[in-house]
Amino acid sequence: MRAAPEWLAPSSLEEALALLAERGDEALPLAGGTFLAALLNQRLIEPACLLSLARIAALGGIEGGEELRLGAMARHRDVELSPLVREGWPAVARAFGVVASPRVRNQATVGGVLADADYASDPPAMLCALGARAVARSAAGVREIPVEELITGYYETSLRPDELIVEVRVPRADRAVYRKFRTRSHEDRPCVAVAAARRGAETRVVVGAVAGRPQHFPELCRDGDAAEIGRRYADAIEPIADVRGSAAYRKRVIAVEVRRALEELAT
Amino acid sequence: MSRESILLGRVRYSQDRELPGMLHARVLRSPYPHARIVRVDASAVPARAVALTPDDVRGLGVYGCQIQDQTVLALDRALHAGDPVAAVAAATPDEAEDALALIEVEYEELPAVSDLEEALAGSVLVHERIRISDNDAAYFGIRPEQGTNVCHRFRILHGDFEVGLEQADVVIEETFRTPAAQHAPMEPHACLARWEGGRLELWTGTHTPFNVRSDLARVFGLAEEDVRVVVPPMGGSFGAKTFVHLEALTAALARKAGRPVRCVLPRSEEWVTNNRHPALLTVKIGATADGTLVAKRVDSWIDTGAYADCGPGVAQKIGYSAVGPYRIPHVHVESRCVYTNRPPNGAFRGFGATQAAWASERAMDLLADRLGLDPLELRLRNVLRDGDVFCTGETVRDVHFAECLERAAAAIDWGQGRSGKGLCVLLKGMQTPSRAQIAVEAADGGGYTIRCATAELGQGSRRALTLVASELLGAPLSEISFPDPDTDIVPYDTRATSSRSTYMMGNALEEAVRELRKDGRRGVGEFRNSGGLDPDTGQGVASSHWHQGAAAAEVRVDEETGLVEVVRLHAAVYAGRVVNPPGAELQNEGSMIMGLGSALFEAVSFADGQVVNANLSDYQIPSIADIPDGLTHDLLTKPGAEVHGLGETALPPVPAAIGNALGSLGIQTTELPLMPETVLAAIDRRDGGGVR
Ligand SMILES: Cc1cc2nc3c(=O)[nH]c(=O)nc-3n(C[C@H](O)[C@H](O)[C@H](O)COP(=O)(O)OP(=O)(O)OC[C@H]3O[C@@H](n4cnc5c(N)ncnc54)[C@H](O)[C@@H]3O)c2cc1C
Repeated sequence: MRAAPEWLAPSSLEEALALLAERGDEALPLAGGTFLAALLNQRLIEPACLLSLARIAALGGIEGGEELRLGAMARHRDVELSPLVREGWPAVARAFGVVASPRVRNQATVGGVLADADYASDPPAMLCALGARAVARSAAGVREIPVEELITGYYETSLRPDELIVEVRVPRADRAVYRKFRTRSHEDRPCVAVAAARRGAETRVVVGAVAGRPQHFPELCRDGDAAEIGRRYADAIEPIADVRGSAAYRKRVIAVEVRRALEELAT
Repeated sequence: MSRESILLGRVRYSQDRELPGMLHARVLRSPYPHARIVRVDASAVPARAVALTPDDVRGLGVYGCQIQDQTVLALDRALHAGDPVAAVAAATPDEAEDALALIEVEYEELPAVSDLEEALAGSVLVHERIRISDNDAAYFGIRPEQGTNVCHRFRILHGDFEVGLEQADVVIEETFRTPAAQHAPMEPHACLARWEGGRLELWTGTHTPFNVRSDLARVFGLAEEDVRVVVPPMGGSFGAKTFVHLEALTAALARKAGRPVRCVLPRSEEWVTNNRHPALLTVKIGATADGTLVAKRVDSWIDTGAYADCGPGVAQKIGYSAVGPYRIPHVHVESRCVYTNRPPNGAFRGFGATQAAWASERAMDLLADRLGLDPLELRLRNVLRDGDVFCTGETVRDVHFAECLERAAAAIDWGQGRSGKGLCVLLKGMQTPSRAQIAVEAADGGGYTIRCATAELGQGSRRALTLVASELLGAPLSEISFPDPDTDIVPYDTRATSSRSTYMMGNALEEAVRELRKDGRRGVGEFRNSGGLDPDTGQGVASSHWHQGAAAAEVRVDEETGLVEVVRLHAAVYAGRVVNPPGAELQNEGSMIMGLGSALFEAVSFADGQVVNANLSDYQIPSIADIPDGLTHDLLTKPGAEVHGLGETALPPVPAAIGNALGSLGIQTTELPLMPETVLAAIDRRDGGGVR
């Protein structure tokens, strides 16, 4: 019979990082719990201790400037509704705003959605397209990890067990769009997600929910019209098959949705 | 049960019932779709937990509401992935689950029947012999085909199909499929059992307390009076909680433990306990050039899984529902219920009418297309009207199919262009024959008590009957109480299914109140409907009155991805007289929303005989965000008319209405659900010129 996990609830970041340095392998950070609670309830994981981030004020907050700063504990709903985000980074507000339902968005956090690295999440593709960086801290120091390099595969990240995501920094773009293509309920995760951003002469297109990590091919975006780039993405990606669609179907949708994202970006 | 108490979480459902000293049960299930059970060893389970193994239940009776094919645990063979092979009761659910891991089971895998085609090939028999049940749910003449996997065959012979076909100028033949679906009620199956002085007492969410009682009496060799079934309100059911599911196993555990035991299914186990029947229907229909139907043949096969449950009944209802509410002189129907090594399938809101309407009404639109006729015109030309004879030989009365169709069509502006629009009309029977009894007592402290077996599953039956009682008694609602049904106290009722309770019990109540007036203390009323069908000819009385409805849908299709957006959806349902208007409206809306799920994305998926989407993320049901802005409905009423049940009518016509809306764009689909991928394939067929 398992024992209930030990409950750690530090009130400062330093304390949390010290605990992680000491017990990184057995202490699991708990943010909004929308991902972890399902695993715990089904007993798919049985951690020795849970490290709640809820009391750490330094992890909250949303601030603007040259870059947008999203605290790791900012909730999806906060990002979605923030006037600052809507004004300066409307596509980010949208990508967080189309996640699941208000119930989930009131709880799910910015750090949680990046750290769980679910292949079918919405925000990662958008953050990749904007060239966002996660700021990771440990007792030993700080480093910035481009979101593109943070998520390395299905539920895998380049975070070390003693590190916490403390915030995400999102540069501005001239224009950005996010398109979520669902095949079932409106509260479903995407079957295909396309994020596109334009900054000066550079256009970035990232496709989410079709493989272990967001799919980005800078060389395919350099020339050609929207339809051509869509076809190239469809050719370049080896999509997975799941309950939301087969691999062959996803390829067709990628071509269409990338084209539509680029057309929208051009308006 | 007031709305406040529901919203505030004060209602105590079966899963909340407790008794002193109660243990919690968990079930060990076969990982294989078909396997010989060589050995079950529970010796490692600690003494403070109680393990139930096949040897404990070998001597108990066999049960099954229509076919006796179930034992309390799988004895020598496990017949589906998820079949219970052992169970444990312990102080907490987690402790019980930990103990399951200590039970060793040795299996020898056997070849499995994974779908209808394999079942009909017959090289593997799921059951060696098929024994018809003596439960009163097996009332309709069950026709097993021994030595095959067909546990029931229902037939309709009306006129002479071959002769009729010769008169046809146009004939359509097509095959349609519907997948398994999951009911997904908020409260899973839950049951609490206790033995008291040799009597078995159960608190269980079920629509069928008397059928459960007789099956359990059989299993334990008791007199029916020595089994007591109490039915707390259910947190939803949609048909999932009809007949025995957890009850036998929980009772056997409680007997072995010598203590009360409660079993609440974890969500994932719902998908291996009861689903909707997958169906395969081939429809051949012929008409003369002016659009008069002359002949129809339906061949239907439903997959009932490893245990028949009420599958034979579903096959019978599909048999006549798939003919549809039409005047057709020559009809031949063969409807079979087939075993496979899949989890059992049973009653699901609509009881076969959804699968039947999907096939029958899609075929009508294909026929209209071939004839070059407006689909509404074709239907109105052939639809049953008062005094017409149905394929069962019965004369229909008080029918309003034409009016339902016209109302539904008008709601989506049918007259102003038909592109992207589709219709479906529905006929659904009510349990016939059946019997309902109800008692009304004058309570000691004033006021009245209703004693009746009608279960509350969220459909609002208690409220509806309390309203009727209040009117008949001339007493305010606050003076009428309606305790949980208890088979020790309430008089007999067939069951709370097929949208019959308000109608049947409402009628019985009138007599009960008259009797109470005479007696002063207690009055009992009874209402029966009579009829039934010959299983070999389908002739007789299918239904003492008809559930009637129609749906109309308007869609927009993203032709590059196949994504369907339902812009408008309207259901028109004949209600006769409405007892509880808000309740009636909610039934219509709930049915339509459930229909949307079936139409667009709900399907239980299997790989290697295992359910692979047994959670509410991989299996999705509609959310509030999926409801079209244009979701509307009508209740057709008639002064002085009978009450008509409304629990199901607006669901079955929804998928076919949406399928027909796609058909109007040349997108011809035959298989549910209408996932974008399926629709895109149909668009490809259309554009490739290969459309049938
Ligand atoms: C019903 C439902 C529907 C959903 N639909 C969608 C959808 O449509 N689109 C979508 O994008 N997502 C969807 N999700 C996923 C949801 O957005 C994620 O579960 C959520 O973002 C995770 O955040 P959390 O704060 O709840 O994380 P938690 O569950 O608390 O944690 C998730 C993981 O991240 C780790 N972690 C959390 N914070 C940090 C940190 N600061 N540093 C390091 N590690 C950390 C935890 O240890 C854990 O491993 C859905 C979830 C549910 C339950």
